Amino acid sequence: MNKALIDLTALFAGVVLAFIIQDALPAMSDFHEAHVLLVPMVFCYAALVLPFAAMLVAAFYTGFLSDLMYLHVVGGRVEIPLGSSIVFFVILGSIASGFQPAMKSRNVWPFVALSGAGTSAYLLLQFLFITFQRGGLLWEPTVSWRILAPGLMAALIAPLFYWTLSQMDRLIPDGSRKMRPINR
Amino acid sequence: MNKLNMALVVAVLAIAIYFSTISPGSMQSMQSDLMSLLSPFLRTGSAVQENLGSVGRRLQTLDELEVENKKLSVENRELRAENNLLNELEAENNRLRMALDFRERSSFNLMPARIISRDSSTWWNTIRINRGFEDGVEADMPVVTDLGVVGKTTTVSKNEAIVILITDETCRIAARIDGTREQGIITGLRVQEKASEGLLQMNFLAKSAKISPDQKVLTAGVAHGSFPPGLVIGQIKEFRLRALDGQAIVEPAVHLASVEDVFVLIGKK
Repeated sequence: MNKALIDLTALFAGVVLAFIIQDALPAMSDFHEAHVLLVPMVFCYAALVLPFAAMLVAAFYTGFLSDLMYLHVVGGRVEIPLGSSIVFFVILGSIASGFQPAMKSRNVWPFVALSGAGTSAYLLLQFLFITFQRGGLLWEPTVSWRILAPGLMAALIAPLFYWTLSQMDRLIPDGSRKMRPINR
Repeated sequence: MNKLNMALVVAVLAIAIYFSTISPGSMQSMQSDLMSLLSPFLRTGSAVQENLGSVGRRLQTLDELEVENKKLSVENRELRAENNLLNELEAENNRLRMALDFRERSSFNLMPARIISRDSSTWWNTIRINRGFEDGVEADMPVVTDLGVVGKTTTVSKNEAIVILITDETCRIAARIDGTREQGIITGLRVQEKASEGLLQMNFLAKSAKISPDQKVLTAGVAHGSFPPGLVIGQIKEFRLRALDGQAIVEPAVHLASVEDVFVLIGKK
């Protein structure tokens, strides 16, 4: 089986799993009720290892599911239109694709930085959409915490996620995985 | 970026833009299908979370449990006596209501539901309940407890529904202040420290309104609205004057952070 196809299939399952886990995780009461978001981090990893065309498929899938999961319709009005997350993940994925050489040389920092920045940027985008729809910009410390804390958490979880996937890679004897070098 | 990649980016963005033009109803329908698909997995995740959270609560000592047991036994006897009295009052109340032909207005079919997940998003105050369209639940139905209003349903799937809480800014309810003619619109605040137990704001009140703390706030029951009149929303905490109107800060009657069982008002009996 083609390597990109294996990675893409893994991403499809990984994104759904990330949604289930982040849905079950309670809000962080010490960080102004901020939530842990895992989906942007999972996508960033995929964007750093997948070819560009496969990354676009991943962006479409992740964005579509994200929009449906967070769709908020009240009184016939949609707060964040379907498709907006797809655009966001295409942009994030395009930026991440540029860091693929660093990822191939086992440099984890671009992944950590993109996961943190991507998660916070995603929440900021949601907040801006809401502000645009409801009117009146209300920027309070709670808003900053709810945008920055999930990004920080994603950046902290990212190395662990990278290490776990690296270990799982070793278990696969398939030669198709040799494209991703791992320290042994 | 080569030409093929560029074409693919344009194609994906074109699809994204097309999606944004879909009607809200169709979007909700797609969300409903996704909820039905993921429901077993999401429920498992929520159950794990609940079990982990309850471990700490179960670590009470036997002494504490014994004291609590005695206290509950006494309380149980008191409540039984009170319940008998209330049964009589209820019977009398029902008779009078029928006589006054108010039965239609105040008798509803209540569908019991359990909260299976809460606060899963950053910006919206919502919960998910274990009732869907198979149980007769539809969008925009009021969700209440014996203490008062919890919110209203939005997206409804086969066996689940999303409920937007009254503490959310997008949940707007026409309300009146008990004992006065003052009416206004109740909404939540956009950002609150603890949204699930947050405060509400009642806007568009007259500046000259005579409003004092602890007065009850009830649903007004406007035409074509989701909520029938007379449901308790909360009580006034503070009244302040603004440039054009008066604004009351209202404390919800239901403690939304701890409520576990709710009722969906699915229609009249």
